[in-house]
Amino acid sequence: MAGIFIFSEDSALAKQLLTPALELKASLAQPITAITLSESDAEELAKLGADKVVVLTGGTWAEGFAEAIYSQISKAEGSILLVGGTLRGKHVAAYVAAKLNAGMTTDAKALKIANGKLLATRVLYAGLAVCEEEVALPAVATIRARTFLAPAPAPAAGVVETQSAEADSRITISEVIPTGDKGVDITAATKLVAVGRGFRRKEDLKLAEDLAGVLKAELACTRGIAEDEHWLPIERYIGISGQTVKPELYVAAGLSGQVQHMVGCRESKVIVAINTDERAPIFEAADYGIVGDMYEVLPLLTAALRK
Amino acid sequence: MPKCLVCYKWTLDEQDIKIKPEDLSLDSSRAKGKISDFDRNAVEEAALIVEKEGGAVEVLSYGTAAVKLSLKDVLSRGAEKAHWIADPSAENADAAVTANVLAAAIRKLGPYDLILCGEGSSDLFNQQTAPRLAALLGLPCLSFVQKLTVEGSTVTATRKLEDCQETATVSGPVVISVLSEINKPRIPTLKQVLGAAKKPNEEIKIADLGLKPEDLQPKALRQSVKGFVMQRRNVVYKESSAAENVAKLTASLASEGLC
Repeated sequence: MAGIFIFSEDSALAKQLLTPALELKASLAQPITAITLSESDAEELAKLGADKVVVLTGGTWAEGFAEAIYSQISKAEGSILLVGGTLRGKHVAAYVAAKLNAGMTTDAKALKIANGKLLATRVLYAGLAVCEEEVALPAVATIRARTFLAPAPAPAAGVVETQSAEADSRITISEVIPTGDKGVDITAATKLVAVGRGFRRKEDLKLAEDLAGVLKAELACTRGIAEDEHWLPIERYIGISGQTVKPELYVAAGLSGQVQHMVGCRESKVIVAINTDERAPIFEAADYGIVGDMYEVLPLLTAALRK
Repeated sequence: MPKCLVCYKWTLDEQDIKIKPEDLSLDSSRAKGKISDFDRNAVEEAALIVEKEGGAVEVLSYGTAAVKLSLKDVLSRGAEKAHWIADPSAENADAAVTANVLAAAIRKLGPYDLILCGEGSSDLFNQQTAPRLAALLGLPCLSFVQKLTVEGSTVTATRKLEDCQETATVSGPVVISVLSEINKPRIPTLKQVLGAAKKPNEEIKIADLGLKPEDLQPKALRQSVKGFVMQRRNVVYKESSAAENVAKLTASLASEGLC
């Protein structure tokens, strides 16, 4: 069994995967093969430490290449596959893992080799617990964006080859509509004001917007506000199946602090909570908190910060 | 008229799991079971499709003996028949074992036109079951679906991904994983709850699935599970005067260099 493989359809994430791949290479002494669908990414992946880059051509739908990616790994009897943890990536990774009859760890935070197995750190119960997961080789792991930084260029560049692949033709993609607040990436914001169910009407979000205005913060929210009420776009929702953020300041207004939400923001530097319920779990997760009616507190806070 | 099978997991309700402060181990002694959140959306979606298009909804679960506790609940949510596999192997099953068992059961029970799962389970959130089932059963897979339409054998799904919404069409049979936003699961009425007791459920013995011992051997093993503890200052201002609290908070933020 030999070979460490990486795959991501996301250019930035593909480069980030090389960092853990290079660490694993140091333990396993096995070459790194980067599989990509992008001709333009190939050169860079080769420069950043991939010994070999395989560009697969023959389609644009990443999930449709799962079978082709599996056959690359199975031919080489690869021992590890790291996949960028986008939703497309998770789909591909789980498919390949099943075909390899391999174990897979989802959203791995740290990876190493121990006792000839892949040892990965990850969360359970929506972030309530962390655990180490030991995966026998061959092993598959998905890694979310920004878990690692891209590595520095390697002393020697790897080789690039192009292969045509047969993509899954059973599924037809008829329409792709880009989503998102164009230009606003809340994962890049240094300050966030997050809103939850404590807001009774959509118009009341103005209170949070005003605070965000004086703090130069972006607005974020819980799942309920984005997915049930549709008061804010889905890209602003923080949590286990939403965004993960690490701002300098996270102000949580009118949200109780359920673990599914907190897992997305708990690496924030300072967390501030405003909630009427003193027993709300958000206060345990906060550095500073005010117990009080946010309808009264927010305007006062905005005014105080404006001075 | 689609024949639907929904795979669901009976999990502990994470809201009831407490972290023991002395060793950060998890205390789940007071945790009740529940149908995993997103799986409830999958059951609801199948029920909605069948209400519109005709057909049938069956459900399938693999778990420990506790899986039996789920039957009444799942059958009150629109399923007509429940298949269940209760086996101690489920205690440490990883996504590979789960998919091997479910796929073997589906081969035995099927064929089905639509096989639905939640996006991921509330406990492990591996997000692997649907693509793994598709790989093992040789079926196409539509994952992370927020809108589903079935017309004859044509299945059209809107998938919600990080940066786009994508519409995909496939001719069934197909494996689908749904997002929570696809619907609002019903709260069963008293009539549905009472009706559930009369609906059939059938145990499948794991020994009858023709699985090899290695198919039941987990490849990923969880170790050293520990509660996550945040190191926070936990300074809470709770004077009766909101203005006073705000003044203290702004002073704190200033000391952190945040305003």
